[in-house]
Amino acid sequence: MRRPFRGLGAILFKEFIVVLRDPMTLFFMLFPPLIEMIAFGYALDNDVKHMAMVVFNEDRTVESRQLLDRFVNTETFRIVREVGSATALASEIRAGHAYVGLQIPPHFTRDLRAGRPAQAQLLIDGSNSTVALQALNTAVAIALTQSTENLLKESGRHAVPVEIRPQMLYNPTMRSPNFFVPGVIGIVLQIGTTFATAMAVVREKERGTLEQLLVSPLSRWGLMLGKLIPYLCIGMLMAFLLFGIMHFVFFVPIAGSIVAMVLATLVYVFALLSLGLLVATKAENQMQALQMSMAFILPSVFFSGFIFPRETMPAIFYGLGAVLPTTYFIWLMRAIILRGATFFEYLPSLGILSLMAILLFCVCALRFRKKIG
Amino acid sequence: MNQESRDAMIECDGLTKRFGSFTAVDHVSFSVARGSIFGFLGPNGSGKSTVIRMLCGILEPTDGRARIGGRDVLREGEAIKEMIGYMSQKFSLYDELTVNENLLFSGKLYSLRDRDLKKRRDELIALTHLEPYLNRRAAHLSGGWRQRLAMACALMHQPTVLFLDEPTAGIDPVARRELWDLLFEFAGRGMTLFVTTHYMDEAERCSHVGYIHMSKLIVSGQPDDLKQLPEVTPTGTRRLDVTCDHVTQALQAMRSVEGVRSATVFGQSMHLLVDDAITRADIEKKLLGVGIQRAEIHVIGPSLEDVFVALTAKYANENQGEKAA
Repeated sequence: MRRPFRGLGAILFKEFIVVLRDPMTLFFMLFPPLIEMIAFGYALDNDVKHMAMVVFNEDRTVESRQLLDRFVNTETFRIVREVGSATALASEIRAGHAYVGLQIPPHFTRDLRAGRPAQAQLLIDGSNSTVALQALNTAVAIALTQSTENLLKESGRHAVPVEIRPQMLYNPTMRSPNFFVPGVIGIVLQIGTTFATAMAVVREKERGTLEQLLVSPLSRWGLMLGKLIPYLCIGMLMAFLLFGIMHFVFFVPIAGSIVAMVLATLVYVFALLSLGLLVATKAENQMQALQMSMAFILPSVFFSGFIFPRETMPAIFYGLGAVLPTTYFIWLMRAIILRGATFFEYLPSLGILSLMAILLFCVCALRFRKKIG
Repeated sequence: MNQESRDAMIECDGLTKRFGSFTAVDHVSFSVARGSIFGFLGPNGSGKSTVIRMLCGILEPTDGRARIGGRDVLREGEAIKEMIGYMSQKFSLYDELTVNENLLFSGKLYSLRDRDLKKRRDELIALTHLEPYLNRRAAHLSGGWRQRLAMACALMHQPTVLFLDEPTAGIDPVARRELWDLLFEFAGRGMTLFVTTHYMDEAERCSHVGYIHMSKLIVSGQPDDLKQLPEVTPTGTRRLDVTCDHVTQALQAMRSVEGVRSATVFGQSMHLLVDDAITRADIEKKLLGVGIQRAEIHVIGPSLEDVFVALTAKYANENQGEKAA
């Protein structure tokens, strides 16, 4: 084959006209990802604040009031109701009116003043483990703080014997959007792009125009690249819009190099579009293409480290994550955007992602037979 | 190598295609001379499109070989692609593109340079009279114009062999006639045309025809030669055209006559295949019996349809004989 990309110019000419002439398709390619991005960005916030709490206070003293104030002052809890019995406390939680129930027994202040362990019971709705864990941690911290203060007062010391001074690097305020939004970009980009190229090729199969292309001297590399480039442009446009939303709507600061961010995105989108082309070499109609694309997209939502840390996964899912382009993209985004990683720090991941992109593209071009049937 | 095979543009030798246990094309052999119009006939699903696809190099034959312009379809597929044009059954066009853009796209696919591209486009527009529709999207063209555009697209790179898969299916008679006029013009310029069709009148216009039935090529040759085949008009029989009133009743009457081998209605007349023993007087007498006073009777030659009907029946009989044996 003397000219490996023969026919590329013709395919580009046609694809750009087809894409640009149909503003509705373009709109529906670009618009839903932006909505998804905003929706995901707001929904995926596990900074739990003002958790509903019911109280059954049998003590009714200044000390018990102070304990309640400590709960409210953390901003993790808000008292929605005070009830008159332990049964009512439990039923409020069961009914879903509150996540937590605090029961302060009548002898709480008496025990406290007498130097005996003063106990209060905390009921936590464990059905949402994230929320429950945070409620537990906060409540334990409240008790510890108060205990420490009391002990310091009694011992006459001014400082605690051991102190940890934490310093949060890269996301000092521990905002959820900073962690989630770069990942959301990875997922949203995948949904928009993988379908696009898969559909673009399968549609030609369905219409019979592919057969017409196959009788011409068009090369398969020319065809594949010609299908990919227009959607690469759209994918990058989409990525810029998503980065814009990330920065200006969710106020995620970009610590690293914007050039590196764009480069990683370009490689990632290229890999996804190649994946779409790979789907198209197998799928015979749009329905099959849709189902096959979903089969690739779903695992990357769960196993890429987008929500759940990969390190805690069983080895098989950890391994599955290691072959997904999304895993590397999300890692790269967090490294570049949040940690401001430098070239040699993110190079290994970028290298793997680039290798994947090239490999996927070669596989789909080689798998694509210039034959039918 | 004799004269005929040196001039052959398309040659098939035992071409076979099997899909699993189904044999779509079964040892088909024929050759098409340069500059001729080869009409390829056969019922739906008989393997016509499969043969075309193998000749165009987009479907791999299971067995046998095919050559176009002396080049092997399997080994020199890419070189063949430069010299062939293909117009599929669906008139595969890009609906989103205008007529002009579809033409330019087709030319670019074959790496035509800008100047040649425009020149060639203008020639084809003049030939197909597409100029009023240049900026109309292909989606908004009627069947006849889509067909013209599809053909113009297939011709952008000046192929020496043009394959047309049922080019006149679903097209009005005027467009159909005009298409054939164009095909004759191309053939006159030395282009070789391979056309599949269902229409017998189109087959009559071809310089060569082939008839495929149940994946097997039953016959191929020049229409006039085929009509002379002894199987078509067996010895001791002749074909008659009988024009009379009440053709349907006449048909019933004639079918009951011993010595009348077949009777078919053609518009206002009927075609009979009769034993030589049957005279005009016999026929007139029989018709008078059902109240038909006047009838014009002529001896006629077989039509291509007669040829195909006779050969299909013969083939079916032989096959049955084979199975029984």
